[in-house]
Amino acid sequence: MNRLEQEIRLTELSHLTRRHFLSKCTTGLGAMWASTMLGNQLYGASQKLVKDPSNPLAPSMPLLPGKAKRVIYLHMAGAPSQLELFDYKPELEKLNGQDCPKEFLEGKQFAFIQGVPKMLGSQFTFKQHGQSGAWISDRLPHLSTMADDMCFIKSMHTDQFNHGPAQLLVHTGTQNLGAPSIGSWATYGLGSENQNLPGFIVLTSGGKNPDAGKSVWGSGYLPSVYQGVQCRSEGEPVLYLKNPDGVSRDMRRRSIDALDRINQKIAEETGDPETVTRIAQYEMAYRMQMHATDAFDLKQENEATHAMYGTQPGKESFANNCLLARRLAERGVRYIQLFDWGWDSHGTGKDTDLKIGFTDLCNRIDKPITALLQDLKRRGMLEDTLVVWGGEFGRTPMRENRGGGEMSFVGRDHNPGGFTIWMAGGGVKAGTSYGETDPIGYEAIKDKVSVHDLHATMLHLLGFDHEKLSFPFQGVGQRLTNITKPGTKVVKGVIA
Amino acid sequence: MAGEVSFNRDIRPIFLKNCTACHGGVKEAGGISFIYRERALREGESGKNAIVPGKPESSEMMRRIRSTDPDEMMPQPKHGTPLKPADIKLVETWISEGAKWEEHWAFMPPIEKKIPALKNESWTTQALDRFVLHSIEQNKLTPSPQASPAEWLRRVSFDLTGLPPTIDQLKELEAAWNADGKAAREKVVDHLLASPAYGERWATVWLDLARYADTFGFEKDPHRDIWPWKDWVIRSLNADMPYDQFTIEQMAGDLLPNATADQILATAFHRNTQTNTEGGTDDEEYRVAAVIDRISTVWTTWQATTFGCVQCHSHPYDPIAHEEFYEFMDFFNQSEDSDLKNEYPKIKLVGDEWVKLHRETRALREALDAEGRKISDTPWKILENISFAPQHGTMRMDQDGMIFSEGNLRSGTTHKISGHLPKIDALKISIYPQSDNPKNWPEIGAFVTLFHIDKISTDGKRTPVPMGEVIADHLSGSTDPMSAFAQKGIGARFQRFKDPTGRDGATSGLGEFPRIAGPRKFVILPENQITLQPGEFIEISLKQGANANESQTAYVRKFKIEVTEDARYTALRSNPKRIETWQKVFDNLDRMLALKGTEVPVMADRPAAGKRETRLFARGNRLTKEQVVKADVPDLLRGNFPKKEEANRLDMARWMVSTQNPLTARVMVNRLWGEMFGIGIVETMEDFGTSGTLPSNLALLDHLALRFQGEHKWSIKKALREITLSSTYLQTSKATPALLERDPKNQLLARGPRNRLSAEMVRDQALATSGLLSKKMYGQPVYPPQPAGVWNSVYSGANWNESKGEDKYRRGLYTYVKRTSGFPGFLTFDAPSRDVCSARRIVSNTPLQALVTMNDPAHIEAAAALAEKMRQHSGEIDAQISFAYLTVTQHQAGPHIIKELVALYQDLKKETPEAKGSMGPDPALTLTANTILNLDAALTK
Repeated sequence: MNRLEQEIRLTELSHLTRRHFLSKCTTGLGAMWASTMLGNQLYGASQKLVKDPSNPLAPSMPLLPGKAKRVIYLHMAGAPSQLELFDYKPELEKLNGQDCPKEFLEGKQFAFIQGVPKMLGSQFTFKQHGQSGAWISDRLPHLSTMADDMCFIKSMHTDQFNHGPAQLLVHTGTQNLGAPSIGSWATYGLGSENQNLPGFIVLTSGGKNPDAGKSVWGSGYLPSVYQGVQCRSEGEPVLYLKNPDGVSRDMRRRSIDALDRINQKIAEETGDPETVTRIAQYEMAYRMQMHATDAFDLKQENEATHAMYGTQPGKESFANNCLLARRLAERGVRYIQLFDWGWDSHGTGKDTDLKIGFTDLCNRIDKPITALLQDLKRRGMLEDTLVVWGGEFGRTPMRENRGGGEMSFVGRDHNPGGFTIWMAGGGVKAGTSYGETDPIGYEAIKDKVSVHDLHATMLHLLGFDHEKLSFPFQGVGQRLTNITKPGTKVVKGVIA
Repeated sequence: MAGEVSFNRDIRPIFLKNCTACHGGVKEAGGISFIYRERALREGESGKNAIVPGKPESSEMMRRIRSTDPDEMMPQPKHGTPLKPADIKLVETWISEGAKWEEHWAFMPPIEKKIPALKNESWTTQALDRFVLHSIEQNKLTPSPQASPAEWLRRVSFDLTGLPPTIDQLKELEAAWNADGKAAREKVVDHLLASPAYGERWATVWLDLARYADTFGFEKDPHRDIWPWKDWVIRSLNADMPYDQFTIEQMAGDLLPNATADQILATAFHRNTQTNTEGGTDDEEYRVAAVIDRISTVWTTWQATTFGCVQCHSHPYDPIAHEEFYEFMDFFNQSEDSDLKNEYPKIKLVGDEWVKLHRETRALREALDAEGRKISDTPWKILENISFAPQHGTMRMDQDGMIFSEGNLRSGTTHKISGHLPKIDALKISIYPQSDNPKNWPEIGAFVTLFHIDKISTDGKRTPVPMGEVIADHLSGSTDPMSAFAQKGIGARFQRFKDPTGRDGATSGLGEFPRIAGPRKFVILPENQITLQPGEFIEISLKQGANANESQTAYVRKFKIEVTEDARYTALRSNPKRIETWQKVFDNLDRMLALKGTEVPVMADRPAAGKRETRLFARGNRLTKEQVVKADVPDLLRGNFPKKEEANRLDMARWMVSTQNPLTARVMVNRLWGEMFGIGIVETMEDFGTSGTLPSNLALLDHLALRFQGEHKWSIKKALREITLSSTYLQTSKATPALLERDPKNQLLARGPRNRLSAEMVRDQALATSGLLSKKMYGQPVYPPQPAGVWNSVYSGANWNESKGEDKYRRGLYTYVKRTSGFPGFLTFDAPSRDVCSARRIVSNTPLQALVTMNDPAHIEAAAALAEKMRQHSGEIDAQISFAYLTVTQHQAGPHIIKELVALYQDLKKETPEAKGSMGPDPALTLTANTILNLDAALTK
């Protein structure tokens, strides 16, 4: 361990020196890159985001003061039921088993429900928790203890009711492919505080990709350096991080030294600024080999921590990913995106039954998320780390009747009209609940929050005006809050 | 100052920067828009004219841009800062000179500009060099010296074939260079252009535009067999198919008279759109999304015009109106494909045989229908004593005989309808959308998957009625309505009418699936006249077993069943000539089924009688439709496109490659230029509109475009030959700090290009220089080594089954492209995911790239193979290193490089003297080879 720490310090020093060298060699180049990439747009008269091409991930200041310095986004792919977790609806209990009234069905499109389904009350009991009195079901006993640190938005709505498009919308602001994800925008806007790790890291439970594929962490029309890097808690954390068998770290160092010296010669001969940049990238890769390995080494954590998170080093689990999220947050990674999957509780089998499979999933996330919040809080990091939890839409207050009849397991269909997400830390108002759905939890009715509003709010917390953080593409200053969706607003009510 | 103001150069940029956000294509605040002259000049809502030509003093605009009153001034303080005095002066001069409007350069025809005599005339080789030199001299620069043979050869080999040259090729060129460099270079270029590798290299560019992938996209992202189209691109490029033909065949090859299988295959360009098979996704939504993607792709690929924004509103900057998007959409809205898993329509690839049979069968089948439809005056009646027995839900009939079926209808529900008529020669089933308002169409499909009749005698005995044929109002979709008859014997024959490419039982039947876009009518002839005694009746069974959106029963909700006694139908049915024609249809179908070949999705339009109505979507929302529009091209680029009633894709394709189109040739030569020089003459290769960058040398672009469509007759090889043999291209890329500062992007072209290799080239070079590369061309995509666990889609059992043998070492473009999970080594080097059209790869330079080329086992294997070649070449490390350096970079390693790398080897050797795993017998040498493959000189061309 000592040797590693020493090496980290040494490489950081040589990094500093090299940065100095680079900055001397590349005057004029920054302007070039900025003009290629940014055109003469678009940050208002005085605000300009200028990027150093040899180091496009260099940390930069946000345009406005923002409380959140980094984001940990916990996405429950498949869309967890708000009615079994946070949205307490006693009215719905009363309707349990009755035919769904016509007015709830007219003009609606469902993924699987046909004809007239039955209403379905919550499968679990709710209680109020903490000083704030937040309603939480009995499925999340650990997380309930954190109620006063959380801020629920119960009036989320979206316009997509299929997983792929809805996930794209949640992460890129459009249901179509080709737009950058929130994490790309965040690293584009803020750079990364740690040049030895990717600035935007994605971790998936069991290595399963979400329905929408890797586009949900793609950089879209932003430069590809801002795309999310999928890391693994098993095997190499970053693809191709490990030197080949038989190549030691010293040997790699020696080879990069030779590479650097020859490349410097080439740079002098050709005058190509890209060559200078390349030298810096190889150095960064070398450091990343060590820092990423170190960051992903869960064995460094003590027994108490493992007990708190429920982690087992070497496994690809959601719990491990939560602990990794904290380790990455500590190291200055800007945006940490976790995907858990299996939350699509249609009731077509045991795994998607609201009582059986759903309960297993709750058990899988309850402790690790609680531990993550507590751990961040204890380290004083919660105040500048924005934690977001949610799915891509909600679930219907009607029981799914796939194929038109009663199914042997209990499930709910997709519901874009209302769902709950929660946030914690990073400048959000702790111990609050914002917005409401109707008495059966079907449609958001009070203080409605669209996915775009959520994005505007997240950017605000990170220090950006969502209308100003933009990038020229296809003739328009594009932004995370979809320019074709006017009326997007920052949700002031959730900001501390 | 008179006559000095240019609208395009001086005025439009001022409008774009300060005015068009509010007075443009999206918003026309105050009734004024600065996109069209007449809308800028007309009387605004204030009753005043913004611009009065010749009279700045009467122009409201001048008053507003000079005003300091916050309520009056323009731009309004909340929208922007006041214009600079110099800009105000320009606008004033422009108005006083008559407010002359100019079309944006890209929408005006290219013009061959006369270049005056040049100082350094002897420097030029090709005509294009004069345009470059003119600009260089005007900028008071001088061209750079010639590149060395090695520098030029490396550049031209990668540019034309995507592969590095061999040492022998280098030696040959070096030997001939001094005697007659021009002839030597011509020989090289001709050799490279004739190499099969040429088509492979340039196909990659086209595959990015066509968003080619081996999967559907979206959630499950299943496999799609469309690689034969990729092979078509490679073959066509190698055969130097003229670009106009290349365009027409891909755009509308299916509509060419007597189209060959290859011409139909070419249209698979448009079938590279995504298909969403996630359960519960709206088939119509994703059908429309695919159509819109085709429109955007066509406009980006051929016209470099951002057309997508016109979906929701008029173009914000360019004069293209909202409705023109939908007129253009009509060209693509007629295609049969509808986001179904079976990806109908498809072509079976077995030479031209299947295509001929298919065409013949379709014509026979349509003739049979047409003959049947000639009986048009039959007296249709409702069955006497009609009764209904729905399996689920309810059925009722109104006084007009319209039957309504409602309730929870599970998939497979069978409705029974009984009734009587003494003699029945024919039945008619008419299926309607629920809504009578065409703006609400299409609705979810209404489809009978099995149609069956029993005769019930007075004692209750049930006898199946043999079914004869269906006469349809038209044939569309993947199923023939005849497939609804499922009895043994005759039914089995009809089952072959299912999707002519032979699949998907669930959608056999009659009606309209997955969407119904208007009433459909089918006349059903029993094999013989049905005769019923008093007390006897028939029972008609309608099974509804098809699921639209993979989840919703597509049942008939509103329909009529009528019967007739009309001997003409029975006579028609038993006409021997007709029976013979049917037999021919069956025989053809048998032959088509027996043919074995890959099935590839292609374009095929719905028949005229089944055309989709294309309507304008209000604000781009497909659920709020407005008026019907007809296929047309935008007025802005109309050229000689005829205003005719029924234009189709083929008309549109011909318009696109007509010499009247100002964009097609320019966009293509700009692409060729950009691929070789690293930056297009128009940098925004995807956008030539007013929001894109201006051409750095319009005269050069126009010259190249005019030659391309003129002298070269659209030959891509000839265009490339001229560029690669130009003096411009021959310059060394070495840049002095002064030149670098003056022209960082090399747009003045006073030096040669130096650019990073593309993702595919990085891999291909490692394989080629180490001797591992397979020369095998074409065929199924391959699976070179990829780390475990990269492919992990939900609900997908697809596995990355690593290729064996030479397939492990194929060129990059043969690597499997999975949309939701791209090949990591390529994505890292800026290859697009192929979700949507990509006109330009923006080159990045990241640490993750370094990790790929240093550690990817494929790169290590190449390094080990290169090390083996080094050992075979010589026993001496110095010689080994200069050999490897020469092989990889084509340059002689100078003494300092040899010294550096020898020292590296010796240091490494001390660490690992012995063989080790993948590093081979001499890990130190393998790592040295790996280092050489990672040099900047190796990663650039």
